[in-house]
Amino acid sequence: MARRFEIFWHLFVASGKMFIRDRTAVFFSFFLPLVIMLIFGVLNFGEAAELDVGLADEARNSSSEALQSGLGQTSGLVIHSGSLTDELAALAEGDRAAVLRIPAEWELVPPGSSGYQPLSAYTSQALAGEGQTAVLLVNAVVAQALVSVDGGSPEPLVVVEEVAGRNLGYIDFLVPGILGLTVMQLGVFSVAFGFVQLKQTGTLRRLFATPTSPSYFLAAQVSSRLVIALIQVLILLGVGLLFGVQLVGSVAVVLALAVLGSVVFLGMGFGVAGWAKNENQAAPVANLISLPMMFLSGSFFPREAMPEFLQEVTRFLPLTYLNDALRAVINDGAGLDVIGTDVIGLAIWGVITFVIATRLFRWE
Amino acid sequence: MPVAEPIIVARDLQKSYGSLRAVDGVSFEVAAGEVFGILGPNGAGKTTTLEMIEGMRPIDGGSATVDGLDVASDPRAVKARIGIQLQSSAFFDELNLTELLVLFGHLYHATVDPAQLLADVELSEKARSQVRTLSGGQKQRFSIAAALVNDPRVLFLDEPTTGLDPQARRHLWGVIKGLRERGHTVVLTSHYMEEAEYLCDRVAIMDGGRIVALDSPDALIGSLLGRGFTKERVERLANLEDVFIDLTGHELRED
Repeated sequence: MARRFEIFWHLFVASGKMFIRDRTAVFFSFFLPLVIMLIFGVLNFGEAAELDVGLADEARNSSSEALQSGLGQTSGLVIHSGSLTDELAALAEGDRAAVLRIPAEWELVPPGSSGYQPLSAYTSQALAGEGQTAVLLVNAVVAQALVSVDGGSPEPLVVVEEVAGRNLGYIDFLVPGILGLTVMQLGVFSVAFGFVQLKQTGTLRRLFATPTSPSYFLAAQVSSRLVIALIQVLILLGVGLLFGVQLVGSVAVVLALAVLGSVVFLGMGFGVAGWAKNENQAAPVANLISLPMMFLSGSFFPREAMPEFLQEVTRFLPLTYLNDALRAVINDGAGLDVIGTDVIGLAIWGVITFVIATRLFRWE
Repeated sequence: MPVAEPIIVARDLQKSYGSLRAVDGVSFEVAAGEVFGILGPNGAGKTTTLEMIEGMRPIDGGSATVDGLDVASDPRAVKARIGIQLQSSAFFDELNLTELLVLFGHLYHATVDPAQLLADVELSEKARSQVRTLSGGQKQRFSIAAALVNDPRVLFLDEPTTGLDPQARRHLWGVIKGLRERGHTVVLTSHYMEEAEYLCDRVAIMDGGRIVALDSPDALIGSLLGRGFTKERVERLANLEDVFIDLTGHELRED
């Protein structure tokens, strides 16, 4: 037993060493996900955008100053003061959601009072939605200011109570998706190509010439890829944390999911590698497996954005189960009770894959 | 033809691929310590015969024993005692020669001295290189070193010099002679007659899956001459290869 483990261990170490020295494998399964994450992380898609509002104050009196400070305190608005001409130019450029003009001699008085003048707001057709929102916010600020003047007290119309909560940004959505994607890519690709090549060149046949069964080598390959997948998940998670991902759930559960997912996708990789005679056969099949899942399993964007029938179909993809489970754990701290369905789904895929892979496997 | 102390005994070996009888009743014995050659044109059944004895290919009919072990019933035990150089073997690309030898040693539970093994096949300076950077002759020599990691009783070399230039070929002959001197039994296949004449104590000539002659090279030549054979042209004391070697030297051209 100890002897057997010794052989396995040496093959395991050699497999890991070979993976690390294989630049193509390292690039595609390791750096690519990292680069994707860095790009999306830096761009930080989906962050709640602030609205830029231009302010042309032509009144320059106490009323306009009061309004200006009210606007400045409103979260979600960024006020840029300038001449009307400049601000309208900025609006045309798309740099402003709206421009507010405070006419000369403007006073903060209710409509109908003497000296009442309406404020004028300009929006751009190109950014109609953002313009609308900006104008609504401005309206609210003016109304609030008017009430304060009327009653002489600065009591707010609506009292805002802030509840502690997580502000989930796109990065929080993305990181679990990238983790799932990486586990899939590593499983399917790190094996499919390397192993087929070993078969094609006769390297596997040379192992047959020794008294050690090549199944030791197979076991060593699977285990080394499993360990590499775990290390990758940890690194990507670490980078995600640097980008401000909120890790609510337990790292152990994330790693357990990574192991389960790796088993499924390694099974697919070895199925392809075991079946294919050469790389030309392996490449299209491996891509056929991974490409649809890359885009349909909710790695980059929510599946809810897809047509309903597609959502129904893609619900059952292994990467969907993995992504959903990872997201539930990382974003919401879900436990096994919540991700049970996903785990069962993955396990079923694991069994299916194992049966197919062992049926298709050919050593030569 | 029984030999003293046979280390390999092949009895009526048979192998068919569909209707093709690739090996059709091959019997021979190899004595411990000899260099035994299996010669023949392509498709004569040399490699198939070799691979059945090595336990690399199932035996359809007949039997083979190596060092007293029946190949068909315990191929693993046979593989543990022999060294195999395959006709076209490849090794892992990402490991260097030293790492490969150590790894192959582990597959036999053997602790190897990679430096000594590489020195035996004159590859010491390539210890940290990868197989893909080696020349054809160096690859073949490394392949022999890898077949020696378990200090095998018998070494099987399948067409070890095919595709090599004359210098590399002669160099490999030197390596094989050295193996014999160190007491290894060597079974090799070849389709170069001068190679067999130079290296082998005895040769079996195969054609169409059968052995058509088996004896020492001298005895085979003697019997041919005894049947009244004469060459159309009188053999000169040198041939074109001698001219080639004389002009280009024995030095290896592989770096």
